[in-house]
Amino acid sequence: MINPKQKLSVLALCIVSLLIFSGCATTSGTVDYRPNAVVETLSSAVALSVQTSDRGMSGQGYMVFRKPDQVHLVVLSPFGTTIMEVFALGKQITLIFPSKATAYTGSIDELPDGGGLQGWRMMRWVMDADPSNERHGNGTVERMGKLGFIEKVTYADGLITSKSAPNGDQVFYEKYEVIGGVPVAVKVEMRNIRDDRVRLTLNEPEVNTALEDAVFIPQLEGFTILPLSDLKGL
Amino acid sequence: MIRFLFALTIVFLSVLPVQARPVPPLDGLEALRKAFADVSDFTAEIVQEKRLSLMKRTMTMNGTVRFRKPDLFFMEILSPYPSRLLLRDNVVEQITGTGDRNRIVLPPEQGLKRWFSKIAEPITVMPEGMKVLADKSGAVYTVTIMPQGKGQVRELVITFQEDGVIKRLVIAEQNGDRAVMTFRKVRKNIRLTEKDFRLE
Repeated sequence: MINPKQKLSVLALCIVSLLIFSGCATTSGTVDYRPNAVVETLSSAVALSVQTSDRGMSGQGYMVFRKPDQVHLVVLSPFGTTIMEVFALGKQITLIFPSKATAYTGSIDELPDGGGLQGWRMMRWVMDADPSNERHGNGTVERMGKLGFIEKVTYADGLITSKSAPNGDQVFYEKYEVIGGVPVAVKVEMRNIRDDRVRLTLNEPEVNTALEDAVFIPQLEGFTILPLSDLKGL
Repeated sequence: MIRFLFALTIVFLSVLPVQARPVPPLDGLEALRKAFADVSDFTAEIVQEKRLSLMKRTMTMNGTVRFRKPDLFFMEILSPYPSRLLLRDNVVEQITGTGDRNRIVLPPEQGLKRWFSKIAEPITVMPEGMKVLADKSGAVYTVTIMPQGKGQVRELVITFQEDGVIKRLVIAEQNGDRAVMTFRKVRKNIRLTEKDFRLE
């Protein structure tokens, strides 16, 4: 079993992935990014904040991403030790809790509905957030998203500033930096219909650097490995 | 000329690092206990480095800490990862730079009071479940504690002066990650009060 803090960490993790897959952001001024520049890999320190109706959690961590669907996130305690690691590869996800020498692994679809874990499913929705074909496009459009529902997407200067889904989920991209010509969101906030909020801030992101395969492979030697279904009670 | 060479030799000898000599583990633990026995409180500036083995990157954070026996610990981390944390025995409260709050209740056995009660008495036998290495270089001890078993922490290294000034704390994890906290400008026994341990 994982504790409430760990559960919230998982929720925060969802948003990490949302950001990195999106490759989009909003800005108060025109952003001079390279046309068709996209994020292939990203590594960054991250600050996470999760606020739900009954609890809050925040922390620091580090994450790496490699296109199209590989993520490794480390959530750190205030004293610098590892609270949790999450590895995602496509629909496969592994959550590691070093203090308990326990890992949970399985398909994203097996994640419980509670505790924010369903946010991982949202990840794919947010991944579908490429900049507009019109370099300086502005305004809101309704479109059929790749996940099969109508979504509202707002652009500023060709970059997505927010998305909303019919079920009330929203994602806001509030700021970005251009790194090597690539626009990268550094602040993202996701809200759901209950006004649960998850904020993520990247610090000193690096884009499109080479990442070793080992970074995305969980080291489970000595760990008790349990199925995701054992995450009951979330 | 001979006087000059003699003086030069003295200078070199005085600046060369003192060779660390091994200390019996039990003596190292007892030195650690004795060093902090007379410390009622302290403040320090800290640099915290987290080295992530797989990602080949180090995160560096700066801040301050305050401690008062038997159960108060305060830590403030500055930008770019601002947060304030208060540990009162076994209750952790944290406020981030954006004002978000966390509250975590640790198991009672992990509380500060309990830990300090354990080290109130001289250590005469080696505690079970750990391997200990110790050495001394001048007035500076380094004690390495290696918990046995499958726990998260592989090694805890504490470097301190025999007068109770802590210099460095290293937490090495089984996954190869290391967290290093270096203490600077340590001031001890300065009569910290309750107001020094407020989060607001």
